[in-house]
Amino acid sequence: MSLKRSINQIAAVAKTDFLGVLRNKTAIFFTLLFPLFFIVIIGFTFGQSGEADMSRISIGVVNLDGEMIALNATDSSNSTIGDIFVEALESANFTVTGYGEYGYRDTNGTAAYAISRGDIDAVLVIPANFTETITFLYTDDLGASVPTVSHLELIVDPTDSTGAMITQQSVFGFISAFIKEYHEIVIEQFPSYLQDYIEVVADPLIVTTSEAEVTEAELKWIDYMVPGTLGLVLIWSGLNHASMTIATERTKGTFQRMVIAPVYPTVVLLGKLLSALAIVYMSAFIMLLSGVLLFQVNLYWDIPVIILGIFLGALSAIGIGLIISSLAKNEEAANSISVIISVPLQFFIGAFFPLSIMPAAAEAFGNALPFTKLVTAMQDVMTRNLPFDAVIPEILYLAASGVILFLIGTIAYRITLRRL
Amino acid sequence: MRRLNDVVVDSVTKRFEDTVAVDNLSISVAQGELFGLLGPNGAGKSTLTKMISGMLNPTSGTIKVGKYSIQDDPMKVKELLGVVPQDIVLYDYLNARENLAFYGRLYGLSGKKLKNRINELLQFTQLDEKAVKRHVSTYSGGMKRRVNIAAALLHEPQVLLLDEPTAGLDPQNKHALWDIIEDLKKQRKTIVLTTHMMDEAEELCDRVAIMDHGKIIALGSPSQLVKKVKMENTITVVPDKISPSLIEQIKGITGVKNTYIAPDENEKIEAIKVITDCPDDILPDIVSTIVNTGTKVLSVQLSRVTLEDVFITLTGRSLRE
Repeated sequence: MSLKRSINQIAAVAKTDFLGVLRNKTAIFFTLLFPLFFIVIIGFTFGQSGEADMSRISIGVVNLDGEMIALNATDSSNSTIGDIFVEALESANFTVTGYGEYGYRDTNGTAAYAISRGDIDAVLVIPANFTETITFLYTDDLGASVPTVSHLELIVDPTDSTGAMITQQSVFGFISAFIKEYHEIVIEQFPSYLQDYIEVVADPLIVTTSEAEVTEAELKWIDYMVPGTLGLVLIWSGLNHASMTIATERTKGTFQRMVIAPVYPTVVLLGKLLSALAIVYMSAFIMLLSGVLLFQVNLYWDIPVIILGIFLGALSAIGIGLIISSLAKNEEAANSISVIISVPLQFFIGAFFPLSIMPAAAEAFGNALPFTKLVTAMQDVMTRNLPFDAVIPEILYLAASGVILFLIGTIAYRITLRRL
Repeated sequence: MRRLNDVVVDSVTKRFEDTVAVDNLSISVAQGELFGLLGPNGAGKSTLTKMISGMLNPTSGTIKVGKYSIQDDPMKVKELLGVVPQDIVLYDYLNARENLAFYGRLYGLSGKKLKNRINELLQFTQLDEKAVKRHVSTYSGGMKRRVNIAAALLHEPQVLLLDEPTAGLDPQNKHALWDIIEDLKKQRKTIVLTTHMMDEAEELCDRVAIMDHGKIIALGSPSQLVKKVKMENTITVVPDKISPSLIEQIKGITGVKNTYIAPDENEKIEAIKVITDCPDDILPDIVSTIVNTGTKVLSVQLSRVTLEDVFITLTGRSLRE
């Protein structure tokens, strides 16, 4: 059979499958518009609250407390409270990584670089006068302690607004407990007649929070959500559509009619794949266009990487869909299985909530999903403006999972042929 | 001259775990023949046609269509076959033309050739131009059946498998489809028709295989099969009066095997019962003979031996049980 004929057959299968979605209002809603509908509803209604296991909050600490500073006209370098503070952070179960400087986001090894790549959730900068301030070492000419303020700076990742808020709350809680503890210890060192005075005037530490400059442009919440919705597109347009296509055709008998025509099973499969890809890309286009038109999102458009990421992610989604579609007894069963999988799955891909707020097992599950990798890669590329090499691990993961899941889907499809 | 066989099923068995759906079955269908597979649901007709079409593999035995074996050259066989499934297998969201274009492309047609062929078939199946522009979901059952058949004819197949093509149709649409099948027969298509409707088999088929429990229990032309049954066609005539001379006159008509007087069904009046092998041929002669004696004919009833009677005689069950 000629290649031209096979291509013609693939095109016929793909076109017919595609028209099946375009001419079905329910299918249009669930396949193309549901992800958009969902993101708008979730975005406007969902609160940003939650408690985190501290170990999943990863803090980069820039401890400047050991640096020489001017103190009462003499230099002092015996600062130790900053180190104790860091140890206390670790004792409180935060995951702490030390950095020499905050630096710049394009300088490897700095805290700014790490936060801009999503390696850490926040950076805490401990000021150089931390020990001196907290232990009231500043004195006036008469030798009396002068309450002095030093600024702890907490820099959070703005691309993850929910995670940033949780991190901020957790760190604030820790700092206030720490200060209270040490404050009491230090105040006890003062003569009793001064303790009340010191307690009233001493407020040596102020924590300010700022957002890390992980992007060149100022971004809104929706800017971070839109790339995440591409994961939803894979689930709702890829997985959902693919899970119905073979099952529906088998139930209606059109699949059997294709099988008795002089058409290789691979041709039918490729036609279905082509149609599913077209639907995924169309849905992604609608989603991104809506983001631009409705929410004026401000993103970076690395089109080749976006297309590649969606393609590889779609292979996984279509593969899972094929498995469902081939093994389900009929159209209704396929639909039920697909919904049971799709609805909870979308909460595990990091599009709505950071995985760090989930229980460890749920987080591990979420991280194993190819859709999560797509969300991560797209957020890195579209909001953080990271180059392709920064998302290579995610792309490789997507490619591997895409090939494996599509192959399993193909095997399931072959099994279907034997069960007709 | 002996005709070539287009379909040869040789010692074919199909097992589904413990069930034997088709049991060591052999048939040959000659070129241009309309061959009927008649039997109740579950007799194995659909399994057999699925094996001929390549959808199922036989457990044992061989099937050839034209000169190709379905096991060895499935693609070649599929090129020769046109299959009309029992169910309406069309895409509801496409119109007739789009459905036909899709199936045509599966069979390698494209461009102008495909367009012309679709036009020919829309005309052949008498689907009007306005209707074919609507989605198939809006069609009547008869229209859907006609498109269903047209989809199998696009590539001008040598052999047609028609699986219960008139199932669920009203008499008018059923006869319209029979006309189409007759036309296909005139085009010298080899047709294998599965049905559980005896009138359909009698009306259309050159030969009929009666199947039960996966086996062929009788094979022959409808008239040959009817003759196998020890039952006779009976014409029951109720005249306003009966005389011995009238009975004798009727006995003298060519084709009459026996004549006797018996009570009519309501047993209030007497009727003349005529036993014959050719009821259609002699019925006018009987009526005219009675009328010529100045006797009025009050009613006429014809009891014909059917393939249903054949099946009941052979199996003790009716076709619909």
